[in-house]
Amino acid sequence: MPDTTSLDHPAQRAFNPYTENGGTILAIAGADFSVIAGDTRQSEGYSIQTRYAPKVFQLTDRAVLAVNGFAADGNMFVKKVKQRLEWYRHAHSKDMPLRAIARLIQTMLYGRRFFPYYVYNILGGIEEDGTGAVYSFDPVGSYEREACRAAGAAQSLVQPFLDNQIYFKNQRPAHNTSHPVHLPLATVLSIVIDSFTGATERHIEVGDGLEIYVVLAKGRGLHGLEGVRGVQELTATDDGERVFVVRRELKKD
Amino acid sequence: METSFALTGKGYVIIAADTTAARSIVKMKVDEDKIKELSSHLLMSYSGEPGDTIQFAEYVERNIRLYQIRNLYPLRPAAAAAWIRRSLAESLRSRHPYSVNLLLGGYDIADHKPNLYWIDYLGTVVELPFAAHGYGSYFALSLLDRYHNPEASLEEGLATLKRCIEEVAKRLIVSPDRFKVKVVDKDGTREVEL
Amino acid sequence: MSVMEYNGGSVIAMVGKDCVAIASDLRLGNQALGITSNFQRVFPVTNRLYIGLPGLGTDVTTLRERFRYRVNMYTIKEERDIQPETFAHLVSSTLYEHRFGPYFIEPVIAGLSKAPSGGFKPFIAATDLIGCLNFAKDFVVAGTASAKLFGVAEGLWEPDLEPEDLFETISQTLLNAVDRDAFSGWGAVVHVITKDQVVTRTLKGRMD
Repeated sequence: MPDTTSLDHPAQRAFNPYTENGGTILAIAGADFSVIAGDTRQSEGYSIQTRYAPKVFQLTDRAVLAVNGFAADGNMFVKKVKQRLEWYRHAHSKDMPLRAIARLIQTMLYGRRFFPYYVYNILGGIEEDGTGAVYSFDPVGSYEREACRAAGAAQSLVQPFLDNQIYFKNQRPAHNTSHPVHLPLATVLSIVIDSFTGATERHIEVGDGLEIYVVLAKGRGLHGLEGVRGVQELTATDDGERVFVVRRELKKD
Repeated sequence: METSFALTGKGYVIIAADTTAARSIVKMKVDEDKIKELSSHLLMSYSGEPGDTIQFAEYVERNIRLYQIRNLYPLRPAAAAAWIRRSLAESLRSRHPYSVNLLLGGYDIADHKPNLYWIDYLGTVVELPFAAHGYGSYFALSLLDRYHNPEASLEEGLATLKRCIEEVAKRLIVSPDRFKVKVVDKDGTREVEL
Repeated sequence: MSVMEYNGGSVIAMVGKDCVAIASDLRLGNQALGITSNFQRVFPVTNRLYIGLPGLGTDVTTLRERFRYRVNMYTIKEERDIQPETFAHLVSSTLYEHRFGPYFIEPVIAGLSKAPSGGFKPFIAATDLIGCLNFAKDFVVAGTASAKLFGVAEGLWEPDLEPEDLFETISQTLLNAVDRDAFSGWGAVVHVITKDQVVTRTLKGRMD
């Protein structure tokens, strides 16, 4: 007798095209610089796939993009953004301005409204007016310019710390003083490092390595970067803005 | 939908509860009294699962009375709230928990202060200046945040209560059309007409 | 809907130099609806020992009553104050008695314990809802804002803080963490315990 049990109920099959690969990213804007950072651990569930998978990418000499969420989507998205920026260069013989890149990213994300790139994007860099900027996006393209933003697995750990240290939330300035609107680069770098060591300590998906990209405005000196261990310059053109990367180790347990 | 409000003022607590008894979509009764006078200076409104409500309210009523008969003095509001809370908390982890939400308003004749307790079916108790249960709470609490005054006279308190009732009548889809209002103060409990 | 998030609320405790601090928010809600901004969930056990009970509101009251009863019985029998270590095990065993039908509370304990030399040693501990003890050397957190509390505390805390600095650290940690949590906030209370006194301060916080 033939087996008919499988016909009793219609079988549902589903292919899940998404996964989460952990990790955390963060960006902070200064008056004339921008810092964009991410850890380098890539995991799936309790397994570490690799201890070095960059999540932060240099787009131009004034724009750096951090992507977090589903790594395959993230890598493909960065590839497509870079491609669009190259076409822009061929058409206009210059790099796309930061705010235009931000709008490009929103258009590309919303273009996939009904099969989204499962990634949170944070774009950092220098605007045309020379100010440091951070743009944060949700997976379908809602975006906003901010002074700082954390995203990813340890967002809930890092963001309230940033509220306190960058926006001075719940702090009152001393009499006849006011809180600084922008912090110096050296302070920002130590806040970034503290954020990631803290997140590494308490979140299993964060750790291994830390990559901090620093974008400096045209004509700005190196102050705040000198004496920092393991700085490497990545500037490609002599337009004026300069890009550096600082690589650090994080705990691997 | 079942709704009840309560607020304190200068030397009094007002409790208001709707008077409908509904089964599914049918109004079975429109003059149900859902506020019990537990003792000379203690009021309790009850709402929740039909059957549970009356059973539990009467159980509380008789035990509060028993205490008074045994000891010749009544339980103070805080003590009554604690006893009722414990009954609900023990019921919660029993085979058939009561699902009854209460507002307990009393005038403490020992320290001459009005007390209001918000109690839910889990046994959560909070002492509050004003409180509400049911869907009406989503409208009434914001009004009470704005208009409640612990020093208000009874007339002003009743005016504030009226605002709540009118807002519920205006904005809630299936709003109750009548509320029973009772007051407890130094002279004891009594019903008032709005 | 999770029972642990039904009423909201968070507690944190920190160790300082010859002192400890324990702090909590003051919100009690029904899911998204705020009921009161004056709900105490941290209670004194002895003059140098406090317990915080974040979790389901009804169990906060039930456990407070239970612990008060059991500590009173201990004090009468032993004719001395209960020590933090002992109390932590009392909490643990009380919760584990209900292993398969637990109280939905994750207690946080902070106090000073008597050292053999006659001095006092800072003590903090936390347990999960079935009484698994965690003796930390730095800080412990619990409640709906626990992830946020971990993040901020990890960034702000340092060893050997004096009482006033510990107060500032725990207050900033709590306020900034609960401001990113929809279920916690609406004001806060902080207790700083030193060998001579307990300083209790009520903090204003964001009301949204």
